[in-house]
Amino acid sequence: MTLIEGALIYANLMVLLALGLTITYITTSVPNFAQGTFAIFGSYVALTFLLLFNLHPYQSLPLCLIFGGLLGLVTYLVALKPLISREASVVTLMIATLAWDILLLGIIGAYSGYLSSVTKKSTTNYIFTPLDYPILGFQGRLVVSSLVILITILFLTFLLYRTKFGIALRASMENPALAEIMGINVEYTRLFSWFLSGALAGLAGGILPFKQQIFPVTGDVLIVSIFASSIVGGLSSLLGAVIGGYIVGLSESLVSYALSLYFGPAILSYSKVVPLSILIATLLIAPRGIVSIRWRRLLKWLGR
Amino acid sequence: MAWEIVTTILFWFGLYAIVAISLNLEYGYAGIPNFGRCLAVVVGAVAVGGIVVRILMFMFHSSGQFLIASGKASSIANDIIAHNPSFGIGLLILSLVIAFLIGLLVGAIFILPSAKLSEDYLAITLLAISEVVLQILYYNTDIAGGYYGVSIPDVFNFVSGNRDIVFVSVILVVAFLIFVFAEKLLNTPYGRILRAMRENENVVKAFGRDIMLLRVKTVAIGSGIASVAGALYALYTANVVGILNLYSRVYWTFLPFLMIILGGLSNNRGVLAGTFVFAITKVLLETYKSEIKTALHIPFSSTWLGYILFGIVTLLILYYRPEGLIKEKPIVTKPIKDRMRKG
Repeated sequence: MTLIEGALIYANLMVLLALGLTITYITTSVPNFAQGTFAIFGSYVALTFLLLFNLHPYQSLPLCLIFGGLLGLVTYLVALKPLISREASVVTLMIATLAWDILLLGIIGAYSGYLSSVTKKSTTNYIFTPLDYPILGFQGRLVVSSLVILITILFLTFLLYRTKFGIALRASMENPALAEIMGINVEYTRLFSWFLSGALAGLAGGILPFKQQIFPVTGDVLIVSIFASSIVGGLSSLLGAVIGGYIVGLSESLVSYALSLYFGPAILSYSKVVPLSILIATLLIAPRGIVSIRWRRLLKWLGR
Repeated sequence: MAWEIVTTILFWFGLYAIVAISLNLEYGYAGIPNFGRCLAVVVGAVAVGGIVVRILMFMFHSSGQFLIASGKASSIANDIIAHNPSFGIGLLILSLVIAFLIGLLVGAIFILPSAKLSEDYLAITLLAISEVVLQILYYNTDIAGGYYGVSIPDVFNFVSGNRDIVFVSVILVVAFLIFVFAEKLLNTPYGRILRAMRENENVVKAFGRDIMLLRVKTVAIGSGIASVAGALYALYTANVVGILNLYSRVYWTFLPFLMIILGGLSNNRGVLAGTFVFAITKVLLETYKSEIKTALHIPFSSTWLGYILFGIVTLLILYYRPEGLIKEKPIVTKPIKDRMRKG
C-alpha cells in the first residue's frame, strides 16, 4: 500500500511538472531545461519558511506557488524574451534555458550555503517526511498532492473553456500569428503560461521533500522524468501531460520496484532507465504522443 | 605557485579545447545540437577504466573482484612502466585509440534518433540518454568503478620530475593535432557540405546527399574526438570518478557550449580563444577559492559562484554578441582564392 501511495505521490508531482513544461512549450515553443530546478527552487522556498518562520511546508504551499510563478515570469522576461524578440533560433533558446538552469543551480547552491550559515542547520540535504501527518488514513503528502492536482485541473478546465481569456489563450496556443491578427495579445498568454509553469513547479517542489531527499542538484536528475512525461503526452497537449505524467510517474516507481524484487535493491539506482525507455519507445511508436493515437482505428486494426 | 597555475590553465585549456572543437564540429559546422556531449567524454573515460584496465587484468592474470583486481593490475603495470617507458607510451596510445574507436561507435548509435526528430526533440532525447547512461555508469561499480573510481596505471610513471608538465604537453599536442584536423576538415567537400546542411537541409537533399549519413558521420567523428579528451582526463587523474560525478552535465555539456558560443560558432580559432578565456576563469576561480570567499564575505563555496557567473556570461553572449569573440569567416577554396587574386 505504501508502495502504491508513494508511486501516486511521485506521479502527481510529475503531472504538475509536465503540465508546466508543456504549457510553456506550447506558447514559447522551447523545451525548458530548467523545469527540474524550478521545482527545487520551490523546495527551498518551503525550507526557508520552515526554518526561519517555523511554517509547516503545507502551509507554505501558497507561497511556493507565488514565488515559483514569479521565477517563471523572470525566466521568460530575462532569459527568453530578449532572444525571442531578436528571432533567435530554437537551439539558441534551448541553450539559454540550459544557461538559466546553471545560473539557478548556482543561486540555489549559494543560497543554501547562506541559509545554512544563518540557521546552523543542514540545507544541502534535507527531507520533510518526519513532518508529515496522516490525513483521513492516507499519507498526508498523497492527499495534499492529489488535492493540488484536482484543483489545478479544475482551474485549468474552467479557465480554458469557460472564460474569455481562456479562449484567447487557446487561440494563441493553436496559432499565434492568427490570434495576433484577431487582436489577442500573445505576449499576455506567454507571460501567463510562464507564471503558471513556475507556479506548478513551485507547488511540486514544495511537496517533493516529503517524498525524497533534496540536494541543490536534484532538479537535474528529475528532468529526465519530466521530459519523458511531456513527450509521452505529445509535448503540446495539456491532457497529454496529465496522462503522460501518470504513466511515467507510476511506472518509474512500480517497474523499478518490480525489477528490484528479481534483481535485488541495487537496481533501484537505475530507476531513471524506465522513463528513458518510455521516452524512446514513444518517439519510435507515436512521436506525436499518446493523445495522437487514434484508439478507435487501432482497436479496429487489432480486431481484424 | 604561479608556475603551477600556468600548467593547470594549460591542462584545462587543452582538455576543453578538444571537447569544444568536437562540439563545434557537430553544432557549429553541422548544426546538430548535441546536448549529450558529456556522454562521449564519459565513454572515453570508461574506455580506459573499463576496457584498457581489463586488458591489463587479463595480461597479468589478475582475477577476482573488479575493484581489487584492477588495483592489482594497475600496480603491476606501474612497476613495469617505471623502468620500461615504451610500455607506458604504448599504453597511452592504446588507450587513446580504443577511446576514439568506441567514441566513434557510440556517437554513430547515439545520433540515430535524429532520423525522425526535430531539433528540440533531438536535444531532449540526447540529453536524457546521456543523463541516464551516466547514472548507470556512476552507480554500477562493476563497469568502470562507478562512484568508487577505478585505479588506472600512471602512463608516465617513468618520469621522475614534474609529471604534470609532461602530461600537459601531451594534451596540448593532441589538442593541436585535433585543431589542425578540424581546420583542414572544414575546407574539404565534406566540411563544406556540413555547413550547407546547417543552413538548409533541403538544398543538400536536393543535391542528392544523404542527410542521415552526414549526421551519423559527423557525430561519430565528434564523439570519437570527445572520447579522446575523456580518456586523457582519466589517464591524468588515474581515476574515472572525476568524470562520472553528478555534475558532469554541467562540466562536459554545458560548459563546452559556453566556450564555443563565447569564441564564435563554426570557427576553430574562436573556439580556442573562448576555451582559453574559460580555462583562465575556471582556474583562477578554483585557485583563489578561499580568498574569494573571505574577500566577498560569502558563506558558500565558490563553485556556486562559478555556476552563476557562467550562466550569466552565456546569457549575455547570446544577447549581445551571438557571433562570439571571432566571427565565422567564409571558406576560402582554391577557386575563390584565384578570383580574389584577380580582384
